[in-house]
Amino acid sequence: MLLWVLLVLMVLLSVGCCIFKDLLYVAVSLATISAILALVLFMFGANIAGVFELSVCAGLITVLFIATVSLTKDSDQKGETRLPAYFVPLVILIFVGIDYFIIQHFMHAIPPAAIPQPSGTFQKVFWELRSADILGQLGLIFAGVFGILSLFRVVTKEKKHE
Amino acid sequence: MNKEILLLMSCGILLVMTGVYMLVLYRNLLRLIIGVEVVAKGVTLVFLAAGVYRQDIGLIQALLVTFIIVETVLAAIMLALVIRAQKIYGSLDIRNLSKLRG
Repeated sequence: MLLWVLLVLMVLLSVGCCIFKDLLYVAVSLATISAILALVLFMFGANIAGVFELSVCAGLITVLFIATVSLTKDSDQKGETRLPAYFVPLVILIFVGIDYFIIQHFMHAIPPAAIPQPSGTFQKVFWELRSADILGQLGLIFAGVFGILSLFRVVTKEKKHE
Repeated sequence: MNKEILLLMSCGILLVMTGVYMLVLYRNLLRLIIGVEVVAKGVTLVFLAAGVYRQDIGLIQALLVTFIIVETVLAAIMLALVIRAQKIYGSLDIRNLSKLRG
């Protein structure tokens, strides 16, 4: 029952992301979706992923979004969408229909899982089985840092020329 | 199949569709990034459903942590690009980014 409530809340908040006009409300809705997702992860025993989701997605990304919204405050908000807002619930209803069709016709065709062979605890999987992922993550983080640095370095150079 | 897995899958697919709707129909760059984030939340739910299906939460947690890091770096780079685009063009409307035309 609790899972139902949480998942329905997630979908409603994602609809809110489409409907709300103020980008701050949209950012807060996204943060709430992340927080609820973290709760769902906790419910299924994925504690570490839940902590990451809560701290990084609900925390860091929201701060970045709100900072960006405040930095780009004066940008035009008119004519944002190609369809008026009252079409959104109708479109979501159509999506629910498609979703129901997919679940009814395709998901039941998936055979039951074979005898489970758990790979082990998170620590074992992360540090032993998928240690190559750590290298990729480090590369990604450095790519992100250098990408942002290079983007903002151009601004300072332009200012010097001015 | 387990009812909880179907529930997670259906909610994940619904979130992906909502995110794609935002990507297709909105013109504000920030809304597009939020659409990408909503798609990412849906994909996370589908990952979790896969983990519950295989009864292998350890492996799926490792994949989810990697995915969250990818998502964060992507969001940070996209938001930096948005700030630059707003400084150059004075607008976040994708129709005004005329210099990007081929």
